[in-house]
Amino acid sequence: MDDVAHKQFDTIPSFLGVPVGDLEDLVPGQVAMAGYFCDNLDRPAAGQRYLARQLRYASRPENAPANVTDLGDVNVFPLEVGKHFSAVISQCEAILETGARMVLVGGDSSGLRALGIAVRKITNADVLVVSVTEGIMGNLSKTQPIILSVDLQELAGIWMSQPRRLSGLSPAQMIAQINATPGNVVAAAIFGLAPALDNRGTTETCAALAILQAVAEHLEKGAS
Amino acid sequence: MITGYAGLPFGEISQCEARSVGVLGVPSEVDSGQRIGASLAPDALRKMSQQLGIALPVNGWDLGNLNLLGNWSVTLMQLVIKMVDGDIVPVVLGGASNVASGVLEALPDLPVVAAMPMARGDVAARQEETIWVGLNGGQPADVWDQINQRSMAWRTARQLDEGDTGFSSMPKRAILWVDISVIDLGHAAGAVGLNPAGMKPETLVSAIGAMTCSWQAIVITGLAPERDTRGMSELTIIETLNAALRNG
Repeated sequence: MDDVAHKQFDTIPSFLGVPVGDLEDLVPGQVAMAGYFCDNLDRPAAGQRYLARQLRYASRPENAPANVTDLGDVNVFPLEVGKHFSAVISQCEAILETGARMVLVGGDSSGLRALGIAVRKITNADVLVVSVTEGIMGNLSKTQPIILSVDLQELAGIWMSQPRRLSGLSPAQMIAQINATPGNVVAAAIFGLAPALDNRGTTETCAALAILQAVAEHLEKGAS
Repeated sequence: MITGYAGLPFGEISQCEARSVGVLGVPSEVDSGQRIGASLAPDALRKMSQQLGIALPVNGWDLGNLNLLGNWSVTLMQLVIKMVDGDIVPVVLGGASNVASGVLEALPDLPVVAAMPMARGDVAARQEETIWVGLNGGQPADVWDQINQRSMAWRTARQLDEGDTGFSSMPKRAILWVDISVIDLGHAAGAVGLNPAGMKPETLVSAIGAMTCSWQAIVITGLAPERDTRGMSELTIIETLNAALRNG
C-alpha cells in the first residue's frame, strides 16, 4: 500500500489535516477548531450541520497550518435550546480561557451567537462581530479584538450545488476579505452551508475548505 | 404541497386588483428535439420559489396552470387580454415558445423586449420595434435584414456580459419575453435550447432590472428544469422576474 492510501485509512479525518487534540493540549496563541453540529435554531436549514464532517473528510494534510488543533465537535442539545446554548457557550469559554483563538465550523448562525457570548464573557468587553461580506472596517485598530463571521450563504450561486441566489462573492473574494480584515481576530465562525454530500458538492466543499484555510491562517498570523 | 408562485395565494382573475400581477402557468411542451421538459417549468418555479422563501415585490394571485385541452392558445389570449384590460400584469410561465406566441398575439400593438439567443421573424415583423437582448450565434439572414432596416436595438450576449447594457431609447410600455436559452448552458443548463457562450445569469438579471419601461405582460419560456440539477436556471428566472417587477 502506498503512502497516500495509508494516509487516507490510518488517520482520523480532521480540519485541514491538523492534529487532533483536547483542551489540555491547547496553549496560548494556538488556534483551536471545533465543529458545530446544529442547524435548527437560527436561520435553520437542514444539512448545515454536516459541513464540519464534510470539511474534515475533504481535508488533506499537505497544507496543514502548524499551530492549529482540531478539538472535535462541541456537544450540542438542539432540541433543548436553553441547555444547548449554555453548553456551547461554556465549551467555547473553556477553549478561549486557555488563551487559544477559536474557529467554530459548520451549522447555522446560532453557533456565532454562542461564540459571541463566550468571547464577551472571557474578554469582559463588547467585542465586535465583523462579517467578511460587509467590507473592511477601516477604523479598526490592529489591537481591537473582533469575532470574524464567515457566512457561506454569501457565496455566489455559481459556487453552490443548491444555489439560493445568483449574486454574491466568489471564494477568492471572500478569502481576500478575510486576509484584509484588520483587528485582533480572537474567534471566527464559518457557517451557513449545507454541502451536498456527493460529487455535486465538490465545488462548494473545495471553496469552503479554502476559506477555512484562509481563516485558520489569518488567526494563526494574529497569534504569532 | 406546492403553494402559489413566490408565496402568492391561488385564486382567479376576478380577485386580482389593478396594478397587481396574475401568475399563470402554461405547461406546453416542445414538440421536437431531445431536450424536452418545458411542461414541468411552471410547477418547478413554484416549488423553487417556495423553497427559497422568495416573495414578489408586488401583490397578486397565482391563477394556477392553464388546461391545455382543446385550443388553449385562444384561451390564453383571452385571459391575457382580460388581465391587461383590468390593469393586471400577466406573468405567464411557459412552457414552450408557443406560449409566448399566444401572449404576443393578444397584445399586438405593444413593443417587445425579447431575451433570446436567436431573433425570430414573427417578433421582428411586429408593428412596434423589438429590443433584442442576448443575441448569440448566426442569425437568420432575412430576420437580421429586417432588424437592421428598422434600426431595432440589440445587444449580443457578449456585449451585455462586458457591460454594454445601455439601450438608448426604451419604450414606456412593453412586453417582456425571456427564453431561458439566452443563458450560457455552462451556467444554467435547464433550457430546451443549448446556448454555449450565452449570457451569464447575473447579466440577464441586471440588464432586465435596469430597464425602466412598464411591463404590460411578462412571459417566460424554454425552461426545462430537469436538465439542471442545481436549479440555476429556475433561480435565474425567479431573480429576473423579481428584478423586472421591482422596476417596471
